[in-house]
Amino acid sequence: MNMTPRMEHGLVLFLVLMFLIPCAMIIFVSTEVPYRVVPGEPVKDAALAAGITITSVKDTTWNLTGATGGKTYVLTDSSGNTVTMSTQAFDSAESRDAAIRLYNAHPVGRGKPVGSLLVVGQHIVYVTPANSPILEEISGELKKMNGS
Amino acid sequence: MSADATNTGSLPSKKVLGLFALAMINVAAVLSIRNFPSMAIYGWSCIGWYIIGAILFLIPISLAGAELATGWPEGGGVYAWVKQAFGEKGGFTALFCEWSNNLVWFPTVLSFIASTLAFALTPALATSPYYMFTVMMIAFWGTTAIAYFGEEASTKFGNVGVILGSIIPAILIILLGVWWLSSGQSLVLPHLTLEAMVPTINFSTLPFFATIILLFAGMEMAGFHALETRDPQKDFPRAMALSALIIVVCTVLATLAIAIVIPADQLNLASGVMQAIQYFFNAAHVPWLVAPMAVLITLGGVVSLAAWLIGPAKGLGIVAEEGNMPPLFDRTNKYGAPVAVLVIQALIGSLIALLYVFLPSVNQAYWILSAMTVELLCIVYILVFASVIKLRYSQPDKPRPFTIPGGKTGVWIVGGLGLFGTTLAFVVGLMPPSFFASNGLAYVLSVLLGTFLLAVPPLVFLKLKKASWKKPAVPGRNV
Repeated sequence: MNMTPRMEHGLVLFLVLMFLIPCAMIIFVSTEVPYRVVPGEPVKDAALAAGITITSVKDTTWNLTGATGGKTYVLTDSSGNTVTMSTQAFDSAESRDAAIRLYNAHPVGRGKPVGSLLVVGQHIVYVTPANSPILEEISGELKKMNGS
Repeated sequence: MSADATNTGSLPSKKVLGLFALAMINVAAVLSIRNFPSMAIYGWSCIGWYIIGAILFLIPISLAGAELATGWPEGGGVYAWVKQAFGEKGGFTALFCEWSNNLVWFPTVLSFIASTLAFALTPALATSPYYMFTVMMIAFWGTTAIAYFGEEASTKFGNVGVILGSIIPAILIILLGVWWLSSGQSLVLPHLTLEAMVPTINFSTLPFFATIILLFAGMEMAGFHALETRDPQKDFPRAMALSALIIVVCTVLATLAIAIVIPADQLNLASGVMQAIQYFFNAAHVPWLVAPMAVLITLGGVVSLAAWLIGPAKGLGIVAEEGNMPPLFDRTNKYGAPVAVLVIQALIGSLIALLYVFLPSVNQAYWILSAMTVELLCIVYILVFASVIKLRYSQPDKPRPFTIPGGKTGVWIVGGLGLFGTTLAFVVGLMPPSFFASNGLAYVLSVLLGTFLLAVPPLVFLKLKKASWKKPAVPGRNV
């Protein structure tokens, strides 16, 4: 039993690190989006820059603390793809981050949440469906608005 | 760890579980109110999605689980089943994938619990990371404490909690939907047609396929409690059937109730289940029910957490008891709870939750972590479905009080459908969402590397395994 306690503790440490290392690495290498006021309408501006047609726009306010309003856009590209993008501005980094946390706390079953979430300055952009050629086209423009 | 947590050796097996308790373990693990608004956005086509989930996962896992649990009613659940087919390496890997999937998933369910409770108190509380972390830790360690008091305490908590926190809220939503229909209110969905029920499956919706397959994940959870089951051969198949029935009826009807009342454009999934419930109850003129409902749904979240927290931890306790992990992991208390595994699990889960709450704006990281949980869970089920097929050939004479009907053809169809569904879910689970398009390869590699790291520890443990880790055989236990 002389070596066993040391080995046991080493294996416990190994186990803990095997969880923390990938989780921490993924979190730390992911791009953090600082809270800052991005002027204008990010989705509209990005869609226009990418040559995507906005087929409808509607004002919307999410029932969340700190949500100050936004718009729901239906976008269509030349291939006939359609995507719905709903934006919402938040009055503080805390309220915006709480909304991000809330979205990620709602996976369907043991899977992923429905749709995609993007963060642009003070805005959250919710997109359905998650995989859309339109989002692929305009996500570059949206990222530029974050200064990345 | 307390003084009574120093025992090592066999887990006492008090036979406290019957049909109802087993069924409730599965219901607690699978039935979740938070799925309903997410599915309701698909309108009538949610029926088609549910049918896909049932054919490619729910029915296969229920049948496979019933056959495996009655044929090998030993402790360890998926570990015992996969070990019979593919040896210790396979069994340990399957179980460990389920356990590590949990540890990455815990922060999301804990965050759900805290934000839902905040809705009942003061919604603004959810913006405070300190509130969130405090409630998450109370829920996590509180559930761990319940598990500490063994199967009897967990069962009582689970039975009451699943009825109050999952079944009653679902029935309430269904009844309000029925009232909505019978009172002549307008429906936000068009007339039901066969065409409307067919889901749209294309490149854009393909990632949702992985999600729908795992919508019913957890049906194997009762298998971890075999040692505490009074009559596993008789009760497992019936518990599988009963839990599947409750889950399907509650899920489909409650989703449709929400879908007919709330317009799809109001079902803003980014703002969570309680916002949808609030809209629903306001429309049904019962806004006073929102806060009590939030409390019940919080309880449902805790019960779901408990089911997933206890099952795989018990399995890992069995693995340690069999000498595949150092004796430290084998410590049990006088209630038979695997305390060392529970404490290690709670510590790791707490650290991941800490990262989750205090580094919240790295949204892409959450997505990758979710993708990892999908991949890990797919590995578990791929191994389970492969096991049920293989065991028909490698152990054809083993008595199975319940067998998948149709002989070998039947097991190939059932296991094949499950294998197809979970393998496809694994593959599409690797597809990067559009906002990762510019660095899709990095995304795929991150998910694969993370999955590998979280799945590989069993191989390290088995490599370092020592004869002295193994405990004396326990009378009456077939390990």
